[in-house]
Amino acid sequence: MKIKAICKIDSNEIIVNEQVVYYNNSSSTDWKKIAYQQLNFDYPKFHKMDNLSKLAVLGVKYIEQAVDFSSFKDDEINMIFANKNSSYCSDIKHYTNYTKNNLVSPADFVYTLPNILIGEIAIMQKWYGENNFFIHDNFDMNFFLNQINLYFCENSKYCIFGWIESNEEEEKAIILFLEQDNKSNFDFNRLNNYL
Amino acid sequence: MNNIYITSGSCITPIGNNISSTKNALKNNLSGIKLHQEIGFNSEDFYVSKIDKITDNRFFSLLNLSCIELKNNCPSNILNSEKTIVLVSSTKGDINNFPTNPFEKIGPFLIKNLKLKNDPIIISNACISGVVAINHAAKLIKSNQFDHVIVFGIDIVSDFVLYGFQSLFALSNEITKPFDKNRNGINLGEACCSIILSKEKINQKYHALYLGGSSSNDANHISGPSRTGEGLYRSIIKTISIAKINISDIDYISAHGTGTIYNDEMESNAFDRLQLSDKDINSLKGYFGHTLGAAGILETIVCLFSMEEKLLFKSLGLENIGVSKPLKIIPNNFSKDINYVLKTASGFGGGNASLLLKTLNNEN
Repeated sequence: MKIKAICKIDSNEIIVNEQVVYYNNSSSTDWKKIAYQQLNFDYPKFHKMDNLSKLAVLGVKYIEQAVDFSSFKDDEINMIFANKNSSYCSDIKHYTNYTKNNLVSPADFVYTLPNILIGEIAIMQKWYGENNFFIHDNFDMNFFLNQINLYFCENSKYCIFGWIESNEEEEKAIILFLEQDNKSNFDFNRLNNYL
Repeated sequence: MNNIYITSGSCITPIGNNISSTKNALKNNLSGIKLHQEIGFNSEDFYVSKIDKITDNRFFSLLNLSCIELKNNCPSNILNSEKTIVLVSSTKGDINNFPTNPFEKIGPFLIKNLKLKNDPIIISNACISGVVAINHAAKLIKSNQFDHVIVFGIDIVSDFVLYGFQSLFALSNEITKPFDKNRNGINLGEACCSIILSKEKINQKYHALYLGGSSSNDANHISGPSRTGEGLYRSIIKTISIAKINISDIDYISAHGTGTIYNDEMESNAFDRLQLSDKDINSLKGYFGHTLGAAGILETIVCLFSMEEKLLFKSLGLENIGVSKPLKIIPNNFSKDINYVLKTASGFGGGNASLLLKTLNNEN
């Protein structure tokens, strides 16, 4: 399997294919908004998304600066994501709403499923491909490669894979654009530079 | 012959505490949906489908009951094999103990309970989780990584989810009426079922063949389906292509049929686009409620019941059809020899999934 592009996001910087494409040199805690504005991509829905979806969407859009997604068919790219904490960042908002604030917000509740970030990507990119979300204890690329490989087929040889976490301790994402390739082994060395 | 056989492992539901009692309840058109008082966010009454016998630690009590039945139905040499893996489909896991991670104890629990050799894989993909997990299981077998895959589907009724759906106005104020012109929402339900996919028949129970499945995103909206049912349409097209059958071969459709205005309308549009309007079809949500992560597993098991008994179950809740395109909704239980069965699911995040089963004949 070939890595066509790789993106790492955290509160300090965004790196795509070994280049720093965004550096958080502001003291603003809303660094994701600034990273979005830097994209020059007009998509007001971004501001309504939860943290998990914002991270995923930033990853795809920054990768798009290195990859021409328009050359792919609309169902040629599978979307497979994983994390350990599911939709924690939205779960805690919803939970706090009804246990402490005596209210329920549907805008918060809709994000209390980890796969919603896949929906946001699909809507933004108009991608109709296969989608799946795994809850896994750690970032184990061997495990993820085994699952991703199962979704490659004649009509879809590509996959956007992401490990996205947003909780009280950290916000980070690693997103890979992968191509099925039986002749090349997955470049673990390259990935390890990002971990 | 590279067949993938599929058989039920366990079935703990609001209408039956095992496979055969759930099947009998379906034959008698019994529903587990009951009015529960003061469970809404402002103490409103809501119709919900709950399993009475689990009281404390409900998620793991339910999972435990399902494991007990599975151990009676699945030989231990298969459960304990290195060529066996378990998948778990759940939207919220043990959400009643939030903010503790709702998923982290599931794997260790199953390893210990079933004496598994491989770590379970957890899939959380909203209401399509169950169908997606069965499809994933089949892929694991086709790739020769495993000989047997046991797929659990489980979700429990919780304040977390109930209050959330209530805020979306997705809960009906009465018993759900899938496809009916007066439908106005879902009833939440809970269940834990397991289904077994294998390269061989594993016991004397009824087996069918799994022919194929797929998923496709609507690319339209995160909490409502595409009006034209684009994702469901594409998924079904892919599934029948993988299964190498024609649309006309399908004998019965087990729809998602949640009872919301939008879902049921979308499904009628998708099925109409596919020329499936004249196929016998039902929703099972009137029996069990919407069991979320368990739905795909539970409702596929009910497909097996129908195939085994040559009996299609009444689509509970329908009085007058109220969707734009015609559907041949099953009005009462009736006998039918069915060969090819299509199961569909749709969910938040715009996901859609489908799978195709076939009855065994003498050559299989």
